[in-house]
Amino acid sequence: MDWASVLYLGVTGGLLAVFILIVLRTCGKRNRSRLEEPKHRMLDDD
Amino acid sequence: MWEKKPVLFLLLATLAILVGTIVTMVIPFAWVNTEADRIATVTPYTPLQQAGRDVYIREGCNNCHSQTVRPLVADVLRYGEYSKSGEFVYDRPFLWGSRRTGPDLARLGGKYPDAWHTQHMEAPTSMIPKSNMPAYAFLNQNPLDPGYIRKCMKVLGFPYTEADIAALNGKTEMDAMVAYLQKLGTGIPKAAAAAVVGDLKNPFPKDPGSMQAGQQLFAQNCAACHGSHGEGGIGPELEPESYQDADLFKTIYNGITDNGMPSFAALGSTKVWQLTNFVNYRKEH
Amino acid sequence: METPPYNYAIVRSFIVWSILWGVVAVLVGVLISFQLVEPALNLPPYLTYGRLRPLHTNAGIYGWGIGSFFALFYYMVQRLCRTPLWSDGLARFQLWLFNATIITAAVTLLLGYTTSKEYHELEWPVDIMVVVLWVVFSVNIIMTIVRRREEQMYISLWYMMAALVGVAVLYLVNAAEVPVSLFKSYSAYAGTNDANVQWWFGHNAVAMVLTAPPLAVFYYFLPKSTGVPIFSHRISIIAFWSLVFMYLWTGAHHLLWTPVPDWVQTLAMAFSIMLIAPSWGSVFNGYLSMNGQWHQMRENYLVKFLILGITFYGLQTLQGPSQAIRTFSAFIHYTEWVPGHVHMGAMGWVSMVLFAAIYYLVPRLYDRELYSIPLANLHFWLVLIGQLVYSVSMWIAGLQQAGMWHALNSDGSLTYTFMETLVEMYPYWWIRAIGGVIYLAGVLVFIYNLVRTARSGKPAADAVAA
Ligand code: HEC
Ligand code: HEC
Ligand code: HEM
Ligand code: HEM
Repeated sequence: MDWASVLYLGVTGGLLAVFILIVLRTCGKRNRSRLEEPKHRMLDDD
Repeated sequence: MWEKKPVLFLLLATLAILVGTIVTMVIPFAWVNTEADRIATVTPYTPLQQAGRDVYIREGCNNCHSQTVRPLVADVLRYGEYSKSGEFVYDRPFLWGSRRTGPDLARLGGKYPDAWHTQHMEAPTSMIPKSNMPAYAFLNQNPLDPGYIRKCMKVLGFPYTEADIAALNGKTEMDAMVAYLQKLGTGIPKAAAAAVVGDLKNPFPKDPGSMQAGQQLFAQNCAACHGSHGEGGIGPELEPESYQDADLFKTIYNGITDNGMPSFAALGSTKVWQLTNFVNYRKEH
Repeated sequence: METPPYNYAIVRSFIVWSILWGVVAVLVGVLISFQLVEPALNLPPYLTYGRLRPLHTNAGIYGWGIGSFFALFYYMVQRLCRTPLWSDGLARFQLWLFNATIITAAVTLLLGYTTSKEYHELEWPVDIMVVVLWVVFSVNIIMTIVRRREEQMYISLWYMMAALVGVAVLYLVNAAEVPVSLFKSYSAYAGTNDANVQWWFGHNAVAMVLTAPPLAVFYYFLPKSTGVPIFSHRISIIAFWSLVFMYLWTGAHHLLWTPVPDWVQTLAMAFSIMLIAPSWGSVFNGYLSMNGQWHQMRENYLVKFLILGITFYGLQTLQGPSQAIRTFSAFIHYTEWVPGHVHMGAMGWVSMVLFAAIYYLVPRLYDRELYSIPLANLHFWLVLIGQLVYSVSMWIAGLQQAGMWHALNSDGSLTYTFMETLVEMYPYWWIRAIGGVIYLAGVLVFIYNLVRTARSGKPAADAVAA
């Protein structure tokens, strides 16, 4: 494999990993109530 | 993490934006307008042409006209050879446009004589009755400012001589516009004239149906230059019964492009034969 | 409304001015629609189609779109952060700079001072005004967020902040130009490079002005109007990151089949299709928020505007990716189809959402009840019909035009001359112009309703006062 393909695959893999991390972190059970909280709080700002 | 830290969030968002930006917008600079793109016959604009280009930008012609021919069959047939990157290296800004309310102008240069352009710009509907292009007769009234144009050439870094600048005196924006339009797409050699293939035998000699079709085609394609009755105008008078069918066919099909008679190969040979019949055998009252 | 003392005066002022510029945009839109069928309506040199069309797009996107976003961002940021605006003085200055900029833009465009770049026509001195305007706005919003009293940031704030940095980066890079005189400059980039930079900008103006801010507005005003929270804040987070990441790769879908390098075009095509996912993430989030609330579509005029708006957004983000496919682009690029696409987004999605937000706010800002709900419904139907007439007629026109442009005879020659294809467009252009008039009528009903509300609406019952 030439260096261009390595770079290409590396960058693509890296981006994919970041995406999966964001999804896991956002959807994980641990964060569930914390990340959903703002949608309730924005309704009782009066 | 970032859900509670606006500054960190802004940084991350900027980063997300920059990835695609760098790959698709910054890196292509390494490919485009490099030696690989260069076309030796493409030259910068002369002062007169550049002045015309600036008028083109000012009037927003790009809102109706594109300036790129795509490598698609219909595009190439209608407008000519498809556009190459190297043809645009002197275009600041590019004027490819995004709409074709009017036809593409990328290969316009040499298609019509200057007189056609002047008359068309002054009153498009006088030549193409159903056109919706605005009239630009006022360009005749606006003289060029040679000093200002010199400044433009300096900023662009295009070569010019003081004689070029002096020659602008007394010229109008209309002259500049026509000069610009005549330059468009001439940076690459003209594609070889479409060759007429097969023996040139009139498939419908003087048949009345074809005469009528020819009459309509003439009104649409020829009347603007040869007059609605072939009495002449920008092009010469066309006298009936004065041509050999085969020669006439060739003239219409290939044009006399050096002298302002466009090629009508794009109409297809059937229509050109109908025109041939009409021009040669029509009865004027 | 007493504690803390939110600055609503600035919200009110921006709304008034944005509506004024919106009317200008629509009026000029109607005028250029008629110019296309009746060229004698061109009044050279100042009022020709070539100079008026950029005035239309600038008044629409910057005057009406951004003007409203100024108002709505200032409202949302204070409410969502539970804190007053960071600087009232700066906001006031911004209001006047905004109007000065739009007026300068309108005058200079009619005088023919233009860079020719779509959605970035303004020449360098006006560019500088725009940059100052944006910096002042961004600082005020960001400082307000930094000093917020609500720890977590609701999704609307995310989209707002993304728009702030996005527009800044795009505008500055695309503005690179070398001045010749006060009102003339040449682009710093040439030819194919210039085209690629311009459409990187152009498409992301769609992302950062016509997508992210209206999404912020939608995510705020939908729950506020229905009284129930959005379906999932977490879906909106994933959609957010995907959207801001992917949009930037897609600019070259405006340049398919041009001399721009093929691999750039292919990336643009691929990412455009991937964009369906985050776009529809928001659409589903909106629809699912209506679970058990669909009866409000009948009872609540605000919900009607918002749900129709997000529906048009959904259609827009399916149509857009299809246009980004090379084969389909070969067909519809340059045709009337594209204005159909544009106005489903502009008149359907963006304007519908803005109408809803303004209807929600004006009674609260003036402490009155809306003058007439039947009139609001009439407005809804007029703009909906006007927009559909516009878009549908242009799609049909575009398909016919494309078909004629590409038609070949059996001997391989073209079937139609350019003029034969042009004359076929006239009936559609008439229909579009009539659609525009219907839309304009809707906008006038909207304004009448708001003016009556402010002047003589019933003082608000407690339920409405917020
Ligand atoms: C409202 C849209 C519109 C605008 C603006 C416009 N044009 Fe046109 N133009 C057309 C249409 C439609 C045609 C085809 C009919 C005709 O030839 O008049 C055309 C034809 C032309 C042609 C002939 C092309 C050919 O191959 O036959 C030229 C040259 C031209 N325009 C130049 C210009 C210039 C220069 C400007 C700006 C000063 C301009 N146009 C502005 C719509 C427009
Ligand atoms: C843009 C203007 C223009 C248009 C349009 C045009 N012509 Fe011409 N035509 C000319 C000019 C100019 C000449 C003279 C060329 C020369 O001097 O060699 C000419 C020459 C001719 C000649 C040769 C005349 C002779 O007696 O030598 C014929 C035949 C002719 N045109 C036919 C047509 C037909 C048929 C059409 C329509 C399909 C047409 N032209 C459209 C400009 C035009
Ligand atoms: C996933 C989302 C979208 C994609 C992939 C997309 C794709 C496209 C494509 C490919 C074109 C070029 C058409 C052509 O000239 O051939 C285009 C034009 C356009 N789109 Fe979209 N679109 C999307 C969403 C939107 C939205 C939400 C709006 C909001 C109003 C919008 C506004 C526009 C505008 C204004 C143009 C015209 C640009 C011009 O040529 O001047 N688009 N879009
Ligand atoms: C009554 C309402 C409207 C009418 C009649 C109208 C009419 C038009 C016309 C005739 C064009 C030129 C199309 C062409 O190139 O052939 C146009 C372009 C455009 N309009 Fe509108 N318009 C209206 C409302 C709006 C609004 C509210 C916005 C923005 C918020 C908007 C944004 C645009 C944009 C971005 C373009 C450029 C499209 C492109 O490049 O393809 N318009 N409009």
